[in-house]
Amino acid sequence: MVMAMTLNQLVLRSMRKNIKSYYLYVFALVFSVSLYYSFVTLQYNPAIVNEIGTGRSSAALKAASYLLLFIVTFFVLYANKLFMNRRSKEIGLYQLVGMSKSLVARLIAIENIILWFSAIVIGVLVGLLTSRIFVMILLKIVEKDAFVELSFSIEALMMTVVVFSVLLLIVILQTAIRIKRVTLLALITTTAVADERVKKFNAFQMFLGFVGLISIGYGYYLSTTILDNLNVTPNVLLFKMVSILALTVGGTYFVFRFSVALILNFVRKSKKGLMSIQDVLSLSTIMHRMKANAMSLTTITVLSASTLAILTFTYISYYSADSVAMEAVPYDYIMYEDTGFELVEEFDKEGIQYTRYDIDLLAVPADVRPLLVKEAALNKTISTELGVQVVSLKAIQNKLPNLHLQEGEGYILGYNSLSAENIRIEAQKSIQFNTSAGEEEIFIKEVTEDLLLPNYHYYGFTVVVADSYFQKLLHDPLTKNQKVVGMELKEENQLIKAQEVFEANKVSVEMPIPGNDLATNTVSVESQENYRLNMLDSLGMTIFISGFLGLAFLIATGSILYFKQMSEADEEKGTYNILRKMGFTTNEIMSGIRRKQLFNFGFPLIIGLAHSYFAVKSGWVLFGTELVAPLLITMGVYIVLYSIFSILSAGYYRKVVEDAL
Amino acid sequence: MVILRGRKIKKVFGKKSNTQEVLKDIDIEVREGEFVGIMGPSGSGKTTLLNVLASIDKVTSGIIEINNNNLQKMKEQKLSKFRREQLGFIFQDYNLLDTLTVKENIYLPLSVGKTPKTVSEKKIKEITDLLGINDILNKYPSEISGGQKQRTSAARALVGNPSIVFADEPTGALDSKSATALLSNLEKINKEKKVTIMMVTHDSVAASFCSRVLFLKDGQIYSELYKGDKDRKQFFQEIMNTQGVLSGDGYDA
Ligand SMILES: Nc1ncnc2c1ncn2[C@@H]1O[C@H](COP(=O)(O)OP(=O)(O)OP(=O)(O)O)[C@@H](O)[C@H]1O
Ligand SMILES: [Mg+2]
Repeated sequence: MVMAMTLNQLVLRSMRKNIKSYYLYVFALVFSVSLYYSFVTLQYNPAIVNEIGTGRSSAALKAASYLLLFIVTFFVLYANKLFMNRRSKEIGLYQLVGMSKSLVARLIAIENIILWFSAIVIGVLVGLLTSRIFVMILLKIVEKDAFVELSFSIEALMMTVVVFSVLLLIVILQTAIRIKRVTLLALITTTAVADERVKKFNAFQMFLGFVGLISIGYGYYLSTTILDNLNVTPNVLLFKMVSILALTVGGTYFVFRFSVALILNFVRKSKKGLMSIQDVLSLSTIMHRMKANAMSLTTITVLSASTLAILTFTYISYYSADSVAMEAVPYDYIMYEDTGFELVEEFDKEGIQYTRYDIDLLAVPADVRPLLVKEAALNKTISTELGVQVVSLKAIQNKLPNLHLQEGEGYILGYNSLSAENIRIEAQKSIQFNTSAGEEEIFIKEVTEDLLLPNYHYYGFTVVVADSYFQKLLHDPLTKNQKVVGMELKEENQLIKAQEVFEANKVSVEMPIPGNDLATNTVSVESQENYRLNMLDSLGMTIFISGFLGLAFLIATGSILYFKQMSEADEEKGTYNILRKMGFTTNEIMSGIRRKQLFNFGFPLIIGLAHSYFAVKSGWVLFGTELVAPLLITMGVYIVLYSIFSILSAGYYRKVVEDAL
Repeated sequence: MVILRGRKIKKVFGKKSNTQEVLKDIDIEVREGEFVGIMGPSGSGKTTLLNVLASIDKVTSGIIEINNNNLQKMKEQKLSKFRREQLGFIFQDYNLLDTLTVKENIYLPLSVGKTPKTVSEKKIKEITDLLGINDILNKYPSEISGGQKQRTSAARALVGNPSIVFADEPTGALDSKSATALLSNLEKINKEKKVTIMMVTHDSVAASFCSRVLFLKDGQIYSELYKGDKDRKQFFQEIMNTQGVLSGDGYDA
């Protein structure tokens, strides 16, 4: 065991000496462990189990934990790769002094085992604290109050240990293979090989550079047209989406690999050998590293762009919950003839202030055939005889103050995609009402999706008509009147009290379906707030998970950019030394480096933002009703995160430059 | 006119218990237009002396003045500017930037000042013509020979018209033919352009190009030789003799 002793001593000594280059690696490990552990713990947290229920949400958490595993694997393996790159000289040195390859591999393995297990211990402790914060955030999103305890879950711990032990094994194997394969010479000169130079540019590369720019542009153009034509077959849609993806991802790689170097080379040529110190530190270094960096920059850009798009989509649905609820239940409370009047009395009794709107909703038998768009009209198999809901303009004038209707004119509300799938209609045509006086034509001025009134009929929609015509229909025996009462609270702060009263007085009633005397619909007194909370309940988990994973991803990719910059700074120390000796000040050198940083972080940032902007723009309508605020907020978070990483790396550069002399 | 003056230069490396006095109260004066060689055994402090004179390193105590500027009184910012404008450097291991072409490397010292582009072009042409490297201007350092690298390094040191050029074993990595070529060039520049040069070297042949040679031993100036009217051969012999005395048993390896 003499050998083992010396080996351990050697490891400890080299670890102590290299502590500075370890801290990043250890940070990456601890970050990954605590992220994974705290997320897995959520599945077992009593507060989650009780408040959100198991079943569906725990399945979602499980699925998400696999995604997280993917992120963590990617991150840890990458961090290890950079870490090994940094130490290639040291490893080469060990071999140079006569250690065998297997001994060096064992050395690194022992070192990794020590690092990983310390990281797991620290990471679990950190994760224990952060998981509590995550639970609190989750409950806050779904607007539930619950006491959150610090819970320690053995299952989560076991899972974390297993996962990271497997990853550790992979890392050790990878390292061993790497040490085995690489020749001593290559190990010592790894850094020099990395910055392979851009040789003379040929026309083909120039062409590829253009192809990159054009395919991104075309991909963007396609993405704006993807929802233009809804009645394409799913295959066409899928094909379109795949082409957009291929065009933008491929284009991004080409841009990084060819276009950037192309443009920079052009700029450089134009200086005719007279480059300022800023150019030297930005232009030429970026150019020379582009070949090696293109792949990783593309990966980072594409991953962060998709993450950003998904984040925005979920945030849009969350942010839209209010307005969607407002559309679905257009008044704070809605009740029907003969129902829910206890609620009114209770409100009065409790002193809750409200404004009351009485609305007559008429069920009128109608034929929509004349309204159909041309191609749909040819399809004879669908029945066009149905009951529509009619309301007078006066009743909803407060919601649509600019609408004016003559007798014989109508305006359609609540024509949504669901009804569109069955009956496709368009404006500037007429609908036929079947009244006692025979068939009457109403000219439809506009068809909208606005849901200003509750809609109780499966494929029906609401027709707004002029007041005088409405009075005629009201007295027609073929129509049925359903009185609806909408109540708007006058004071926001009475909402909680009103909700309590509402919960205590829930009633439901059978509503006749117009045009069908035998069937009824069960409808209850509805509360907008209830609708919103139900929506948050069903969305909350998705929002939390994608938010969590999204942030994890952004932090991981940002850190990788940061790590890369740190090793780049280390590699360029020699350059800074020369420049400092020649009399360039730290500030002059830093101004060049800042330009480089602007590119290294700014370029992926801008391309990532553009990608996600077009992705979001093309599909956001499927997720909600609000675009601008969620988009700006998620993009803002992304920009702030990347700025933090770029500031951190600039700080590291400054230290390297200052120490260079 | 004295261009460089050093008084009681002391340099100590290491902390408290483990210190090493590398330069021990060295006094030195260099006149404008001199070509001064510094010789001495390995570890005697030649590089250290050159570094503190060139303001790349700080003295522990003592005073250094170049062109009547007291280096110890200057702040980092001002010192950098001073170094850039008044001093030139040729290093043993070339210290060229690999990512820049020969021309871009040479232009570096001019890149910060307000030198107009046309003037810069003229200066670069002049110096590269003189050093015979004007046909490799668009090559990268990895594509040229060691001698060409060293001449590039020299061109970069000289292009900004410095008052003093410091060279640390500029011929260390060159074969004798390239070394002689570079040294004749330096000698020519020293004579024609009246540039003051201080050069550290191990090589007696190289030292024989100088107008004066200082011998360093254990951090002190042990002796100095003037070329005067002697020719190079005689001076070389004199240097060899002094070196023999200096190291006793066959001088430094
Ligand atoms: N940064 C430093 N820290 C500590 N000691 C140093 C440092 N630089 C040089 N020394 C020590 O100072 C002494 C002189 O070093 P210096 O490099 O000046 O020698 P030199 O005369 O140039 O030798 P050579 O001919 O081998 O280049 C040596 O003993 C060396 O170990
Ligand atoms: Mg030396």
